[in-house]
Amino acid sequence: MAIKARDRIRAKLIDEQTIVRVLLAHPMHTGRGKNEQGELIPAEFIQDIRCWRNGREVLTIKCGTATARNPYFSFQLAGGASGDKIMVRWVDNLGAKGIAETTLS
Amino acid sequence: MTHQADSKRRSFLKGAISASTLALVASSGLLLPRRLLAHWPSDAFTAESVEDALLALLGEAEVADAKQIAFKLGAPPSYAVNGASVPVEVRSDLKNIERIAILVEKNPNPLAMSVELTPDVVLPFKSMIKVAEDSEVIAVVRADGKLYRTSRDIAVDIGGCA
Repeated sequence: MAIKARDRIRAKLIDEQTIVRVLLAHPMHTGRGKNEQGELIPAEFIQDIRCWRNGREVLTIKCGTATARNPYFSFQLAGGASGDKIMVRWVDNLGAKGIAETTLS
Repeated sequence: MTHQADSKRRSFLKGAISASTLALVASSGLLLPRRLLAHWPSDAFTAESVEDALLALLGEAEVADAKQIAFKLGAPPSYAVNGASVPVEVRSDLKNIERIAILVEKNPNPLAMSVELTPDVVLPFKSMIKVAEDSEVIAVVRADGKLYRTSRDIAVDIGGCA
C-alpha cells in the first residue's frame, strides 16, 4: 500500500446512544481491477470486522468485495457512559489485521 | 442436498475463476476450506445471483417484502455519480434484528456485506458500497427468525467494481 493511512474511529454520546463511526484505511481490491500496466490486481479486501464495547462483542460485519474502498461504517449502540471503550478489529482475505480503539468522552 | 452442495461448489469455483483469483483461492482457500468457511461465508460472497447468495448466507431465499425497513441509497434521490462509493443506510422499526444483508443485484458477486447485530446495536446502520452498473440494491433483514426485504434502484454514471 503506497499511502499508509490510519484506521479511524469516533464515538459520541447523543441522546443516550453511542454513535460509532469507523473509517478503515484499506484499498479493497476486488480482484477484477487492473493496474496501469493492464495487469489484474489480486483481490485484497476486508472480510471480517468486529466491534467490542468494554470487551463485549456487539457487532460483526462480514464484507464482500463490493464494500467500498476505505470502508466507512456508522451505527449506534444503545446506552453508553463516559469512559466506555469501543474497539474495532478487522481481518482481510490475506490475513492482514488492524485495530482501532477509542474511549467515549 | 448433494445436488445443492454441488451446485454451490460449482458456482464457487466459477466465481473464483472468473474473478481470476484462482491462485489466491488455491493458496488461501482450498487448502483450508473449513477454517475459511467458518470464518467467512465464501459461498455466500462468491454466489453470482441474489438467490444463491441469500440461500448460502441465510439458508433460505423466501423473503417477505417489508414496509418496516427504511432503506436509503445514494445521495438523494437514489442517484450515484460514482459507483465506487455509494452510501447506504438501513433503518427499521423491527424488533430483534439479528442480521442485515446488503446485496447489489447486478454486481458480479451480489452480496456486499452481512451485518450480525446484537441487541446492543441500534439502527440506522450506514456504510458505503460499490455498484458496478445501474442496478437494484436489496436490503434483507432477519428479525425474529423472519426475513424481510426491501430494495431500491440506483443509477450509476461510473461503474465502481474495478
